[in-house]
Amino acid sequence: METKSYTKSYDLPENTWDEMFKDSETVREAYKTVMDYLDLESTEELNKKEELSKVLFMSQGITFTVYNSGEGIEKIFPFDIIPRIITSDEWCFIEKGIKQRVIALNLFLKDVYSDQFIIKDGIVPIDVIYSCPHFLREMVNVKVPHDIYIHIAGIDLIRDNDGTYYILEDNVRTPSGVSYMLENREITKRLFPDLLPQCKVRSVIEYPNVLYNNLLSLAPHDVADPTIVLLSPGSFNSAYFEHTTLARLMGIELVEGPDLIVEDHKVYMKTTAGLQQVDVIYRRVDDDYLDPLAFNPTSLLGVAGLMNAYRKGNVTIVNAVGNGVADDKAVYVYVPDMIKYYLNEEPLLKNVPTYQLGNAQERAYVFDNISRMVVKQTNGSGGYGMLMGHASTEEEIEAYKLEILKDPRQFIAQPTISLSSAPCYMQGKLQPRRVDFRPFALCGPNGIDIIPGGLTRVALKEGSLVVNSSQGGGSKDTWVLSK
Amino acid sequence: MLSRVAESLYWLSRYIERTDGMLRMLKINYASSQDAISEFSWSPVMRLFCDPNDDGLDGMEFNSRAVLQYMVTNKENPNSIVNIITLVRENARSVQDHITKDVWQCLNEYYHTVKDPRLNVMLKKDDPISVLDILIKQGMLFYGTTEITMARNEGSSFMRIGKYLERSIQSVNILDIKFGSVDHNPDLLTNTSYWKHLLFSIGGYELYLKTYRQGFEAENVLDQVVLNNEFPRSVIYSINQLFKYFERLKRDGHITAGNLAFLIGRLQSKVKYSSIKGLKKGDLHLYLAEIKSELYGIGNAFNQTCFNIY
Repeated sequence: METKSYTKSYDLPENTWDEMFKDSETVREAYKTVMDYLDLESTEELNKKEELSKVLFMSQGITFTVYNSGEGIEKIFPFDIIPRIITSDEWCFIEKGIKQRVIALNLFLKDVYSDQFIIKDGIVPIDVIYSCPHFLREMVNVKVPHDIYIHIAGIDLIRDNDGTYYILEDNVRTPSGVSYMLENREITKRLFPDLLPQCKVRSVIEYPNVLYNNLLSLAPHDVADPTIVLLSPGSFNSAYFEHTTLARLMGIELVEGPDLIVEDHKVYMKTTAGLQQVDVIYRRVDDDYLDPLAFNPTSLLGVAGLMNAYRKGNVTIVNAVGNGVADDKAVYVYVPDMIKYYLNEEPLLKNVPTYQLGNAQERAYVFDNISRMVVKQTNGSGGYGMLMGHASTEEEIEAYKLEILKDPRQFIAQPTISLSSAPCYMQGKLQPRRVDFRPFALCGPNGIDIIPGGLTRVALKEGSLVVNSSQGGGSKDTWVLSK
Repeated sequence: MLSRVAESLYWLSRYIERTDGMLRMLKINYASSQDAISEFSWSPVMRLFCDPNDDGLDGMEFNSRAVLQYMVTNKENPNSIVNIITLVRENARSVQDHITKDVWQCLNEYYHTVKDPRLNVMLKKDDPISVLDILIKQGMLFYGTTEITMARNEGSSFMRIGKYLERSIQSVNILDIKFGSVDHNPDLLTNTSYWKHLLFSIGGYELYLKTYRQGFEAENVLDQVVLNNEFPRSVIYSINQLFKYFERLKRDGHITAGNLAFLIGRLQSKVKYSSIKGLKKGDLHLYLAEIKSELYGIGNAFNQTCFNIY
């Protein structure tokens, strides 16, 4: 059996923080055990592991369907077998930084939907709030249980070339991906037997229990044995696998819009034995589609009358409605100020420097330097509608500028941050690919829990900086080491 | 339990039962086509499991390979195994939180197995029995996995109701078609291999040998398939099971019985107290048709009482 050193063939990218290699010779301390393990394996063995991972995803139905010429083709989300490792010190810092940020964002939501002190004190300009399509007047002065708006946050982090963590974006509406955190770990257990305990990797298995206990405690206060449901858009949704996984792991009912009905401002589900009242809805349906009476009138995914039941306090919706104003990319710019304003603390995790194109001066600067910028829509997601200045042609840039000028408020720009690289096993060797990191924070009445782990997304195309799964991204298991 | 979930569980179980019946029927028919001296007609099987108005069936009656491909892997045929298993999986996918992970994986693997393009190649060129055995085994894995891992709760009651309703309809159908052929060809009545073949296709051959000592007689075959409560595919056994799980649902307050109790009870008595021996040749078809229509009535009543109440 031939063994070979995977270190030698690794092509370390320039001017980039690599997660595994300090320089072309040296492996970082945290990765040593993994690297020693890999060096003992032949490429045949690793190919076999890669194959096994595919079989496991396929047989568990962790797939999405691509419709091509009338024929549904099952695909798995690409998974790279080499784990991404976060040391306990790094984790400690990330955990503090995320908690701080989520607390501030939650205070912001409470404020912006009630007294609006932050606007009156001139910290956030009023037009930034009111021009945000996700700021919902329907939510003004609605009292939510325990004043918690953000129950689940998936905040994306990236690392610049010196290894500093930056906040890329805040996802506080219906962040997804946690099932991959859980499933990737299960697969890794099969791929690398005994390696997890050897490396002292912290477990992620508590996530569903913590979330379930939070949901229980959020029920309207007079309910003794609350009914909790997960509201999914249905089996055609690309995240449907995640919805079923979470419902199963928490033992709660998975419902779709047509399974629910509102009568007398109370929400019920239709069961074989009659109507049963629902107390807490963990929804994976966007605000717009929740209630055809309050929002998009053509939505079939939601429940007519849900918003009224919610406003009356007869049902708790998780995450709260209207959170989109907090993770809007134009509001993002003000999050460090929010942290200072509400908590009187310095932000631990930094924002990526961001230019608002609604501001004429900043727009001029961005246009002059557009080849070094990434331009995004403020309410976009999934990596769509972005302009990567360094990788675009003259014509694309000019066309995009015209788009921007139509409604500059809807755009922001950030200097291209290179993103750290991590080794992926491809074609028999380790190759660097760019990664980001999304840990999941859970907020309940007893505080914020962040499960030690998360989703590492990886841009599988060589040199690409776009990690979104809809654009050729994959994922890796993420190991947080204990002290 | 959500009405939608109950309905999905009921149907996924019905569909699995249907494919199991189909596969066994195909297997035995193919095997006996290898024994046939004259041309072997697939017409009874096609009448059992295909839409009679289906144009795709034309010219297939004597072509074993064509029938097998049409009924197993053809996506144009809405009643093919591949299409039914796709429905099974879609139903299972939408109730994943109500079946165990083992059951889900089992059905998912069944789906990937039947979608495998190699299957069709084997059906065309190799031994079709191997293909049918692979699929039958997937179904048996499902039965075993359900038995071992699923909680005995409301959901499993609905699954069993689906299973036994489908099974009893199938058994009645098979009898009706087999005895119907006798009308056109009276020689079949005393043709031993004809009845042997029927028993094989529903797995009742060994039990028959132990129960009836005087060779193969149409009357005894009928007796076993309708009235023998020890035979798991008999009409009476299936109806008794259906009744049992219905009673369980009612007892635990999961459903309001409505006229379901009446319908099931009436059919159960009717079958239990019927005397096969007294039936004349012409009356048999009428008798079977009545049972079938009552079974369909029970299916509709479940639909109205449990699945589509609102």
